[in-house]
Amino acid sequence: MNRNLLFRWLTLGEWQAHRLQIVVSIIAIMLGIAMGFSIHLINTAAVSEFSAAVKSLSGQSDFQVRATQPTFDEMLYPKLAQHAGVAQASPILEIQAAIPGKADEIRNTTLKILGIDMLRAITVTPDLLGVPAEDRPFDMLMEDAIFLSPAAMEWLEVKEGDALPLRLGTKTVTLRVAGGLVRAHAGQRIAVMDIGAAQWHFDHVGVLSRIDLKLKQGISHEGFKAALERELPNHYLVIETADQEKRIHNMSRAYRINLNVLALVALFTGTFLVFSAQVLSTLRRRPQFALLRVLGLTRKQILWQILRESSLLGIVGSLLGLGFGYVLAATALRVFSGDLGGGFFPEIQPSVQFDPMAALLFFALGVGVTLLGSLMPAWEAARAHPAPALKSGSEEIALAGLRKPWPAYSCLVLAAILTQLPPVAELPVFGYFSVALLMIGGILWMPSLASLFFAWLFNVFNRLSSGALAGLALARLANAPQQAAIALSGVLASFSLMVAMAIMVASFRISIEDWLTHILPADVYVRTEVRQDAVGFSPQEQQMIANAAGIERIDFIHSLQITLDPARPTVTLIARPIDLADPGNTLPMTDDVLASAELPSDAIPIWVSEAMVDLYDYQVGKRVTLPLSDEPQDYIVAGVWRDYGRQFGAIQIQLSDYQTITGELRVNEAALWLQPDMTPTRFITLMKALPFGETLTFWQPNEIRAISLKIFDRSFAVTYLLELIAVGVGLLGVAASFSAQALRRIKEFGMLRHIGVTRGQIYRMLALEGGLLAGFGIGIGFLLGSCISLILIFIVNPQSFHWTMQLHLPWQWLISMALAMLIAAALTALLAGRQAVSGNVVRAVKEDW
Amino acid sequence: MKNTATLELRGISKTYGNGRQVLSDLSYTLAAGEYVAIMGDSGVGKSTLLNLIAGLDAPDTGEIWVDGIALSANDDDAATRLRRRHFGFIFQAFHVLPHLTLLQNVSLPLLLNHLPLDRAETMLTAVGLKGREQDFPRQLSGGELQRVAIARALVHRPRLILADEPTGNLDPDTAQEILQLMRSEIKANGAAGIIVTHSQAAAATADRILLLTKAGLQPLEGGSNA
Amino acid sequence: MHKLFMLLIALTTLGVSNAAPPEFTPVTPRPLVFPEDFGSHEVFRIEWWYVTGWLETSDQQPLGFQVTFFRSATSHDEDNPSRFAPKRLIVGHAALSDPKVSKLLHAEKSAREGFGLAYAKAGDTDVKLDDWYFVRQADGRYRTYTEGEDFTLELTLTPSQPLMLQDLEGFSRKGPKPEQASYYYSEPHLQVSGTVTREGKNLPVKGSAWLDHEWSSELLHENAVGWDWASANLDDGSALMVFQIRGKDGQKVWAHAGLRDASGNMTIFSPDEISFHPIRTWRSPHTDAEYPVEMRIKIKDVEWVLTPLMDDQELDSRQSTNAVYWEGAVTFTRDGQPAGRGYLELTGYFRALSL
Repeated sequence: MNRNLLFRWLTLGEWQAHRLQIVVSIIAIMLGIAMGFSIHLINTAAVSEFSAAVKSLSGQSDFQVRATQPTFDEMLYPKLAQHAGVAQASPILEIQAAIPGKADEIRNTTLKILGIDMLRAITVTPDLLGVPAEDRPFDMLMEDAIFLSPAAMEWLEVKEGDALPLRLGTKTVTLRVAGGLVRAHAGQRIAVMDIGAAQWHFDHVGVLSRIDLKLKQGISHEGFKAALERELPNHYLVIETADQEKRIHNMSRAYRINLNVLALVALFTGTFLVFSAQVLSTLRRRPQFALLRVLGLTRKQILWQILRESSLLGIVGSLLGLGFGYVLAATALRVFSGDLGGGFFPEIQPSVQFDPMAALLFFALGVGVTLLGSLMPAWEAARAHPAPALKSGSEEIALAGLRKPWPAYSCLVLAAILTQLPPVAELPVFGYFSVALLMIGGILWMPSLASLFFAWLFNVFNRLSSGALAGLALARLANAPQQAAIALSGVLASFSLMVAMAIMVASFRISIEDWLTHILPADVYVRTEVRQDAVGFSPQEQQMIANAAGIERIDFIHSLQITLDPARPTVTLIARPIDLADPGNTLPMTDDVLASAELPSDAIPIWVSEAMVDLYDYQVGKRVTLPLSDEPQDYIVAGVWRDYGRQFGAIQIQLSDYQTITGELRVNEAALWLQPDMTPTRFITLMKALPFGETLTFWQPNEIRAISLKIFDRSFAVTYLLELIAVGVGLLGVAASFSAQALRRIKEFGMLRHIGVTRGQIYRMLALEGGLLAGFGIGIGFLLGSCISLILIFIVNPQSFHWTMQLHLPWQWLISMALAMLIAAALTALLAGRQAVSGNVVRAVKEDW
Repeated sequence: MKNTATLELRGISKTYGNGRQVLSDLSYTLAAGEYVAIMGDSGVGKSTLLNLIAGLDAPDTGEIWVDGIALSANDDDAATRLRRRHFGFIFQAFHVLPHLTLLQNVSLPLLLNHLPLDRAETMLTAVGLKGREQDFPRQLSGGELQRVAIARALVHRPRLILADEPTGNLDPDTAQEILQLMRSEIKANGAAGIIVTHSQAAAATADRILLLTKAGLQPLEGGSNA
Repeated sequence: MHKLFMLLIALTTLGVSNAAPPEFTPVTPRPLVFPEDFGSHEVFRIEWWYVTGWLETSDQQPLGFQVTFFRSATSHDEDNPSRFAPKRLIVGHAALSDPKVSKLLHAEKSAREGFGLAYAKAGDTDVKLDDWYFVRQADGRYRTYTEGEDFTLELTLTPSQPLMLQDLEGFSRKGPKPEQASYYYSEPHLQVSGTVTREGKNLPVKGSAWLDHEWSSELLHENAVGWDWASANLDDGSALMVFQIRGKDGQKVWAHAGLRDASGNMTIFSPDEISFHPIRTWRSPHTDAEYPVEMRIKIKDVEWVLTPLMDDQELDSRQSTNAVYWEGAVTFTRDGQPAGRGYLELTGYFRALSL
């Protein structure tokens, strides 16, 4: 009881006296945990919802047979249905149809329609059956009926019995909403209709998207898969339904990991603040602990006292962080949906699920980190010799260990070495380690660096000037560099992260802007409402478009998704006229290109995006096969182009080659160059007068640019948020350490006041100290941040998203942020010091500590 | 080897890391209830001697016996427990915990020794601070702070009070008041006391005055027995 | 006379608004032509081949069985060029009555016609539904295979008597109006041999069966809620078929019976000569429907009593085709004397066939 009373007295006394610092520490822990936890919750919610939604679409099937192209000949269906071992084969046609009048420039506004054979699907995907009205039991077989999930009904604002117009290509079909689905995932927008009706209405007669297979009991899955793969032509994919998880996982992995790393960055910054707050508070109380030691507290008791105090902080901060993180996640999911605007999880609306295991983990992390932050100073305080520690000014001795720069050097050297290592499991693991080591190394280097720098500055200053106050400020910084360094490292950590992010985002944004200019050379682009429309424009319709007045040049483009590896997301194939002599006229090429003279005559040239090189090893000059035709055909990688739009890879091919190989004459987009006397607006009016004019969607390059950048900015909104939080945490750190130090310097200020220094002068001195310190931190932070941004741009991005970009420094923004931070730090220092200076200075001199 | 002396120093030597020898072969015995002042030039090792006695530092050679118990320099926990139970400290800079009330400050030794807390109030009354138990140190003058320190030093009835320049931060009038209070309280509690000081006036309040020189501790001629 | 009639009513009476509603041929009196009429008749809305019979295993244990294939036209748009257009459905039901299990074992399957996976061919009996089939061979014998979770039936049916053209030489009236009719012939006294597979064991079986083949476009009186139908292979070589259609008030809307003696003389009976009298009812624990499983049927001045092989011969297909009816093996007595074995079908006892 006595021991607890002592703990309570010491803790409460300390906390009551330093409420601000306690609150700051708690906020720091809270923010760190909240960011980490909320991003974890968002990711888990989005991914589990997405995979649950995908799973519900594949139902109880054992296998899915798909083709490398989006659709395949339906005659595979009877073969599979009668295949030995197959209990049920359920054919499915997937259609993405547009909703006239529902267009939105950013969000995906197509409706996914599954054409199913209800009598086959009933045993494979029973959830996907429509629920007809009681008096119309056969609507599932009717050609005019469509069944919508609740989310789709809500989104389309229709109810049972309403007419629903749908558009694919240039054709509009109006179906009758005949009911809901047996079971749809909450928030999942899908529609189901009869497969025969879907083939007919959406011009897909004769083709299927996939066949779901359910095997007879006792059939070996591996054996079946191997046998089927042997039997089927190689443009068919036999996908075990369980493998789909992997594919889904792959789709969003890089994105999620990067978000997680950002969350860890927030946690790291928070940790750092907690650490520095704990170090400073323990240092401040060093004489008190020494007194307690003299009075008879053992080392262990001192250690326990400090650790118990900080674990209390850690517990409170972590609990608040879990709560705040949950609220943050729920809000973000509601406002931005599961991909936080990134567009990775269309068609679902995940809701946040409280995950007790993760909560426990983050809680332990928060408490652990706080304990770790106070362990070092607690250990030092317990080991210190009480007699010298009783005297003030001994703190620098305590921190003498920090002055050794070799741990910093080894961190920095290791960071440099790690940048040279390749990715692990397609993730830039070493890149992130390198960033972390750079940060740690930079922070560890601060004490010795600050000591050198301020000593040098002090010398220079003494030679050049005799301003007493500035001299005082510099003298203090030069002689107590460890404490200065601790205050600094908060600034350093947050500012370098901010610089790194700002440089990376700016480089990325400018690279994308340049890229967009390059890939959008035409005046107007026209397509149907659905992107990569599976039907698009027929040759007649193409003729009608080409015949319009005022066209100088027209390029037709056909793009579609093909699968090269069933474990990976699809690759975009884009067929368009490409300038063979100089593909750089058509595509944003990298320097990696075969000259047209080097192209062999027996292979069709293709130009691949950077991701293809990383993911599929499509090196320039390599001969590859593509699943475009039944007859084997060689293709040669003729060049590599930059693509910021499709991180899973894209391939460009001459439209004429594509049409010859596949016989597919439809296209789904046209790029139009107008004659000088034709304006885009007038041209669009002309086009709208075509018989299918109302189904056309027009894009002008500047609109696409604006939209793309809007999407870009939206997907980086989280980054901006994290940056702001990092800055806030950094400033909190400055405030905490300055107010802690200012309180400890009451005596010094009292002395100065005694010898005739005015309050104003002391304020100026404090502001100068704060400014100098922050300025130094900002300078080093800038260097460190630039290094980190180089790693992000040249290592992390290419390794996780498979694209390279050019470095651009947003000087204006960086300078204004640096100035803002400088002023904020000076003001913080001033405000923190005010309290100390305004006290009873006569008393202050008498007190020893 | 039982010994009734409160403190016995046997051949203490101490040399600092920089090679400066401060104490060499120092021996001294302090009887129970004895109150001595130690004077000497700066740097002669007065504070070092106090630290050694308090177990805050270890002698290079020699033994220190407190109340018949050998101070073990190597076992910090044992030394701490000995200090906690047998010593009271009064410092030049007062050293009270700023965030605890006067009563809590004085109660600390009781808490640490698992003694009933009611004596803290008695002690505060004895040093003339009745009614101010819930005040914080920042509300007190220097003299008042030293009264708190005296109360804290004696509250758990230690055998030996160690005072290091207890009046160094006080004006002469207050200093005299404090010295008298200290003496009377040490005597009233039956403790022994060692006061280390530069001040003749302060030393004069002790039973005996010892001079610390390189040669060791010697009684100062003309020491008073006030 | 079977349950899909009711489903068909649903199809035909729904004002379906498709662009090209299929048109069906009305049933008018005409002579049946064979072998063409053994095959499927696509121009009619509904058609079925329906086999019921008694089997005996090698240890003389009696089993009842039923194998049915339906072909049914939907009102899906005829213009749809898709091979998947569900213009015609093939539905199969198979059931096995084993007194030792005392519960009907049954299996069912449906598919849209197409891709060679499910069809009912014209020209001769040839119906397929995935691995289920019912085929008439050139020698007149039928072969059928059906399988479910609990049993497999692989049977050969050999005719021993000429075809039995029902009612007016195969033009069978189902109500007071002339269009309420079907084409209907039966093959009684089919000799059955084959294998029943139960729990992994192949049991050779022998027995006799009754085949109905019937097709129509429109059948029932609008007031009809269900029907009672029975057929029997009588021990003396004669064959009996009798049914009544019940109205909403439970009264007879229409009835018909045909009795052919061993020498081939056919007698048909008019509605007013036929009356059905329940002797004992059985309440289903599965659906709570109550069926008159023991029935006395009076045809002119002869009294037939039908006794079920077991009570629980209810077929509950609410999971798929949504039909619930009783279809069971029964023994017949004529005026108190054992006369033969056959099948009784009772429909419309469960929520008026859920319509």
